Amino acid sequence: MPTLRVNGERREADDGARNLLSYLRFDLGLTGTKYACGEGLCGACTVLVDGQALRSCMTSVGAVAGGDVTTIEGLAPEAASMGELHPVQRAFVEEGAMQCGYCIPGFVMSTVGLLAREPHPTRGQVQEALAEHICRCGTYVRILRAVERAAGGATPGSTP
Amino acid sequence: MSAEGAGLDVFGDVTFGIPDRLRASYRTTTYFNTAPDEPMQRWLTVRPDGRVLAFAGKVEYGQGVRSGFAMEVAEELRLGLDSVEVTLGDTELVPWDLGTFGSGSTAYVGLQLRRAAATARAALLDLAADRLDLPASELGLAGGRVVAARDPARSLGYGELVADAYRRAEIPEGEVDLTSPGEFSVLGTERGRVDAMDRVTGAAVYSRDVLLPGLLHAAVLRPPSLGAELADVDARVAEQLPGIVRVVHEPAGPGRPALAAILAESDEQALRAASVVQARWEERSGQPSRWDVPRILLDSARDAMVMQESGDVEEGLGTSARTLEASYYAPYISIAPMEPRAATARWEDERLTVWAGTQRPFGIRSELAAHFEMPEARVRVIAPEIGGGFGGKSIYPLALEAARLARAAGRPVRVAFDRQEETQHSTFRPAALVSIRSGVDAEGCLVAWEYEAIHAGERALIGRRGSESPYAATHLRTVVSSADSPLPVGSYRSLGAAVNHFARESHVDEIAAAAGADPVEWRRRHLGEPRYHGVLDEAVRRFGWRSAAPGSGARDGRGVGVAVGIDVGSYVALCVAVEGGGQEVHVARVSAAIDCGLAVNPDGVVNQIEGGILQGLGGTLTEAIEFEGGVVLNPGFARYRVPRIHNTPRVDVGVVGDPLVRSTGAGELGIVPIAAAVANAVYDATGQRIRELPLQRQLQPAG
Repeated sequence: MPTLRVNGERREADDGARNLLSYLRFDLGLTGTKYACGEGLCGACTVLVDGQALRSCMTSVGAVAGGDVTTIEGLAPEAASMGELHPVQRAFVEEGAMQCGYCIPGFVMSTVGLLAREPHPTRGQVQEALAEHICRCGTYVRILRAVERAAGGATPGSTP
Repeated sequence: MSAEGAGLDVFGDVTFGIPDRLRASYRTTTYFNTAPDEPMQRWLTVRPDGRVLAFAGKVEYGQGVRSGFAMEVAEELRLGLDSVEVTLGDTELVPWDLGTFGSGSTAYVGLQLRRAAATARAALLDLAADRLDLPASELGLAGGRVVAARDPARSLGYGELVADAYRRAEIPEGEVDLTSPGEFSVLGTERGRVDAMDRVTGAAVYSRDVLLPGLLHAAVLRPPSLGAELADVDARVAEQLPGIVRVVHEPAGPGRPALAAILAESDEQALRAASVVQARWEERSGQPSRWDVPRILLDSARDAMVMQESGDVEEGLGTSARTLEASYYAPYISIAPMEPRAATARWEDERLTVWAGTQRPFGIRSELAAHFEMPEARVRVIAPEIGGGFGGKSIYPLALEAARLARAAGRPVRVAFDRQEETQHSTFRPAALVSIRSGVDAEGCLVAWEYEAIHAGERALIGRRGSESPYAATHLRTVVSSADSPLPVGSYRSLGAAVNHFARESHVDEIAAAAGADPVEWRRRHLGEPRYHGVLDEAVRRFGWRSAAPGSGARDGRGVGVAVGIDVGSYVALCVAVEGGGQEVHVARVSAAIDCGLAVNPDGVVNQIEGGILQGLGGTLTEAIEFEGGVVLNPGFARYRVPRIHNTPRVDVGVVGDPLVRSTGAGELGIVPIAAAVANAVYDATGQRIRELPLQRQLQPAG
């Protein structure tokens, strides 16, 4: 039976072939990670595995055995106020970067992954990291601002 | 609906503000909504602990209504936003509602909540006047307390005032003493969403996230093509697979479609079993494909409705110095919300509860009650957070499927569409064909305008929306027809207004180009309504528009375009700049202005306009449903291209409008003029006049 850590907690899964997204949502009740396309094309199901953004809908539990999985619930698990949120979550709130909000956990997770490997990304790097995400409400203007805010200000190559 | 214990409840008419004509037409033709049993229902409660609860039948699917409602109540009761709790979309708790569509939330329900809060304010002042033995005129409100103006040490909290007994107040008919715009401290100010935290932590519960103890996952057998009927099911192999609890097959009966599904302990077990079910379907033969649509529209056009008529168009065209004639076409497009529909149903003691992310919880309740032949009082529909809807989630067949399956299984059941099902088994924005003939005099002034639109499908309201021309002309005729539709059509953001505006605002640009006129100036000359001028001036100012006739520049791949629009009583104008050559168009910059009367939450309005523009770029540049034989050929995001983050232009939005004018919609405005504005800019950039959406398919490679 594969073991893994999810949001810091050790878990044993019954079935290594189990889809990671289904496992997180239905077996562990971590419903913040979303299903939207099932084909790895929209990013709503993004989680971090050992710090790297990964499409959980295209992954089995067995494929991440031994890994450290972080979901949106694991970024700031005790947060009760804005100040206690993860800086990326806070930036999305401060920029009002959401409408229906369904895609936002995925965008937040990819942004956390991006800033971990590239603390000061260019506008191009941001667009590349988020190119495989879809926000159908069209809040991209605000999402770009939120990522820039989380990265500590306007990113190089951004338009005024 | 009665509150328990002490506190103040404010009751009021649940049909407030909705024009009778609209209500009647929805009830009888569109969604079969029943009228409320009881017109007077609870809108607001002041609890003994001082918290204020607001109730509304609207649902939150991205418009920010929860925040807007909280602001309206907070304003009238002089409270902080965090003292107001808004409950939405739960038929057991909230006043009856028609549905969340047509930009009615702020216009009607938000206003009624303001009136409810103002009614509560008056009642609290009366109670305090008694207790403090002061006239109400010497009392003020601050921080959730009624305070004596001359002696601020004497005050009573809202909770204290209502703690001794249960009280009921009613919103008076007619005028209620609302806070005037000059005294606003909440309305019209920039506020963040009250539900933002839950959306970035994953705590927000959407319909797909409702997981109950003992829940079964359903895999419903879906028809392989439109209209296919289930003839036979052999599930003997599937039944033997692990985790399968039950196979349900209810044949079609009077008024009920067939339903066949695998019920399993886990989602993957259900899907695996469904994949080995042998199902025989009787499919319809000879269904048309997307290529047949323009001919179908022309051949089956009917129910022509004259929307505008004055003068004599033929005579006007005859006396014009120059005439133009052109046709415009828009294909079916998909609504494609991020959250595919899902529903969870539970039966308990002959009471049914269904969680469904629908825009129409009360209508769905009626459908469920009718199906199971039980009183509506025993059916509860809860619309949790909704992951996008844009009109499409008024139709929600999964609610009934989940309820039927849960009844058969004796356990709660969850039914969820995957992405392909969400596309294939949804409704689409209708394809439409618009033919325009126009004539101008020697100065380029409009003399004659004839507009004939055919929108696919029977829902005439869709095609009529936004078809009327705002441009002065002596001879004017606007006619909109329905037609056969090979695909099911339904509501999508602004209904037909986006397509009607694409045709009209493109044609106006063609007139200006032919007359060598600046398209902004041409519009100014022909628009009468001052609110049109207000938004056009603001968009032009923000953009830095330089006067020139369309296409008169270098045609170097850079171009600018303009379009104006009206929908649900609000006005919008856009200026756009495009860059690019060949078959890729990049929209680099958009300046927008909107007038929706009082902007309750200006940042919410800006967010909606930005979003409408971005979403609209999809239908403008890349989106089109391909189908053949009753099957959608591009049901996923691989081949149905929606805008992505690298397609994002710089967008700036100005909110103009008089706060004394009552609020009208904002959510549907951004999408209305975008296709024409971009098409006009493409013409300016390349000299190619594209009259068919999506534009990028029609662009010729750079020569």
